[in-house]
Amino acid sequence: MNALAEQYAEYEVGSIFIYTHEAHPGENYPHHTSMEQKFAHARALRDLLGVTRPILVDALDGACHRAYGSMPNMSWIFNRAGIPIYKADWTDSNSVANAIQYFVDVTRRRREKERLVPFRVERLDFRTSDQEEFYKGLERSGPKAVREFREAGL
Amino acid sequence: MSNSDLIKRYNYDEFTREKVLPWLNFEASPPLGQKAPDFPLWHLDGTETRLSEIWSQHLYTIVEFGSFT
Repeated sequence: MNALAEQYAEYEVGSIFIYTHEAHPGENYPHHTSMEQKFAHARALRDLLGVTRPILVDALDGACHRAYGSMPNMSWIFNRAGIPIYKADWTDSNSVANAIQYFVDVTRRRREKERLVPFRVERLDFRTSDQEEFYKGLERSGPKAVREFREAGL
Repeated sequence: MSNSDLIKRYNYDEFTREKVLPWLNFEASPPLGQKAPDFPLWHLDGTETRLSEIWSQHLYTIVEFGSFT
């Protein structure tokens, strides 16, 4: 997603990361009890995982995250008027790239005076399921996060 | 639910079906094509902004939600 942000910056596309709650709280990164702690975890995300996009922190009660569906790693695309034009219940850079390229093309076509009207589309996209990388993430949080995920059976 | 109870439940302390699943509500999320709800957000230096300030800065804005874990 960082590479995608850099690739499309020249097309007036902004990219941010909104820091939510800990999906898998563990010994190293426990559940949030204060904004100071939430900021510290967000900085860890930036520093240890190399997120280069601006990171914005949600309120401690997750007001923004909850209003948008509370999925642990979802992606949205908004236009300048604040209208969502893409939403995905999981983040996949290929899916987002496909969508943003389409919308950049829409902008170009409009500038070329093509008359366009919106319509709705639903689509089932496919993401890579990297179990090894996922478990590395759980291990960063701590053994508790690994154990609870296995026990939850989700 | 009081705000302190909401904060405690939203920031669940363990990953169990009972504590996690009630929050997953993507089906009820804002629809495409209609003005989206706006919320305050904070930069890492603590300065406050709003989602609307972010999306108004570019033709399109990609927003990824997530956390360290």
